Amino acid sequence: MAEVPVLRLEGLTKLFGERAALDNVSFSVNSGEYVSLLGPSGSGKTVLLRAIAGFETLQSGRVLLKGKDVTSRPPYLRDIGFVFQNFALFPHLSVFDNVAFGPRNGAQPTPEHEARARTLEMLELVGLKGFEDRAVHQISGGQKQRVALARTLVIRPELVLLDEPLGALDANLRLRMRGELRRIREQLGIPFLHVTGSETEALAMGDRLIVLDSGKMSQFGRPSDIYDRPANPNVARFLNCYNVFDGSIEGESFRTAYGSFPLGQRVASAQPAYAVRYDRLKPDGGEAGLPAAYVASEYLGSSIVHFFETPDGKVIELEHHLSNGPPDSYSPGQTYRLAWNADDGIAFG
Amino acid sequence: MTTTELSASAIEMAPQSSSKSGGAYLLIGPAVVWMTLFLVVPMAMIVYVSFWTQTTFKIESTLTLASWRTFFASDTYLSSLWTTIRIWLTVLAATFFVGYPTALFVGLFVKNKTLQTALLVLCVIPFWTSFLIRVVAWRPMLGKEGAINILLMKAGIIHQPIEALLFTELSVVIGMTQIYVVFMVGPIAFMLGRIDPNILEAARDLGAGFWRVLRKIIFPLSLPGVVVGAIFVTVMVLGEFATSAALSGRKVNLLGNIIVTQVGSLKWALASVVGVILTTIMAIVIAGLLLVVDLKKEL
Repeated sequence: MAEVPVLRLEGLTKLFGERAALDNVSFSVNSGEYVSLLGPSGSGKTVLLRAIAGFETLQSGRVLLKGKDVTSRPPYLRDIGFVFQNFALFPHLSVFDNVAFGPRNGAQPTPEHEARARTLEMLELVGLKGFEDRAVHQISGGQKQRVALARTLVIRPELVLLDEPLGALDANLRLRMRGELRRIREQLGIPFLHVTGSETEALAMGDRLIVLDSGKMSQFGRPSDIYDRPANPNVARFLNCYNVFDGSIEGESFRTAYGSFPLGQRVASAQPAYAVRYDRLKPDGGEAGLPAAYVASEYLGSSIVHFFETPDGKVIELEHHLSNGPPDSYSPGQTYRLAWNADDGIAFG
Repeated sequence: MTTTELSASAIEMAPQSSSKSGGAYLLIGPAVVWMTLFLVVPMAMIVYVSFWTQTTFKIESTLTLASWRTFFASDTYLSSLWTTIRIWLTVLAATFFVGYPTALFVGLFVKNKTLQTALLVLCVIPFWTSFLIRVVAWRPMLGKEGAINILLMKAGIIHQPIEALLFTELSVVIGMTQIYVVFMVGPIAFMLGRIDPNILEAARDLGAGFWRVLRKIIFPLSLPGVVVGAIFVTVMVLGEFATSAALSGRKVNLLGNIIVTQVGSLKWALASVVGVILTTIMAIVIAGLLLVVDLKKEL
């Protein structure tokens, strides 16, 4: 018998006037899972998170927590933790009192000594021991993030929702907090649902990944599956690692403005398009290819990205992993044939 | 090398920055002159005059404690002091209990900024008429044959008109609360409007129901507004004389009424004594209120 998922969404639909912010969204999150929710801004990912927490009323659909329907319950009776993007710490309370707010004021009253003990335990878990008496405006962004997390975790929710939790931090701190988030979640075993607009963050953090586009779920699966086999051209575009060409399937080839390519992998999709990963392009050989002029390069540390341009101005990116040898050199303005193996191309349609 | 450079640039900077702040001080010059001439000097004069010798028809600058003794020896004056304090505290409480829920509605539950502004403007509409008209308009409302009594009798709730409504302390409190409640609503609504909605959502998400959120989050965050509102109301009620004169039938004598009477009969020394006492009470109250909240943090 399959276990009951911690969270189960059935056909969530939310309309803002005529526009559907959420369009029939259904998925479940199992215990101990880290699920990333990836979507461009305006894709409805924050609305979805707020609907799960109970801050938004839905036009239709059900939210089930451990098999129980909580759709009509107010947020304070849902046992779902929410970590806000701007942290939303209580400005008039100390670090300790912020974290202790839930145990002290929650739906089930906790004795003060237990509230204190749990707060101290949680502050230690997030590495803020010794900061108890600080005011929240006296601590750094990373520390605020930890307070927000501890404040949510201390109420022992069934599920934690994180709304772009790393968005307000600088790049260096973001990488460190990624590791911290994973460690804390593994230690507590509570499932996390992490909303982000960054594809690298989503791919790195999630056991599973949901791609949301215009309020609809585009794809749900393991990060590697989604990365290797996007379900539609929009997902491929949004992953930011595919060159995507418009066109149509004609017999055994895909016809674009830049020539016809062999079909390669076929993915059924309402929108026809042809996609090939940046790092599968090479400057020679290959069964498929197109001519493009070299523009510039960007050095990324472990790889280098070369930018080319087709005569009509479309930018083609070629990523060269430096572990595969030194990069080729190109002269600006000169046209090269960029090629790939037929198997590496994905034909949507 | 770096240190020498730094100190050299510091020396260069110093005169420049001091001349800059010298220019800045000039900016408040007119205000300082104005306030000194028309506030500081008159206030010092009042304190000085309160020690002058008052005879029936004239006043001399010979220093004496006579007027102070008169004030503290008279039951009339002392009871007027207690009446002033009682009415002030009652009006303060009434404006808070009427004003806070109003501010909560306007500042927190009305999400539309335009509507919010419109509602606040609505609160100010009574100020479009003169102060005296606003006060006197309460008479046909509260009187024995006034609107409230007529309505209550027509509705069969009472059979005898309630006479306590007009020309009592109650009518003074009703009148003052109506006039001054807006000064409580404004600052509180302003503070409430500045609360990040995510903070309230976070509190609800952590399991706190509405009353908990109100008590633990909303109220503490709006406290600076309450303090500013309380200061406004305090300053205005403690200095009041017109409302009590018009709505109490001269039965309620506030310190303000005493000053008016004394000045009217050219008893400058005693009027000054009352003025000094009133100003001292205000100063103590305001200082106390400012201790409650660190307003510097809010500005």
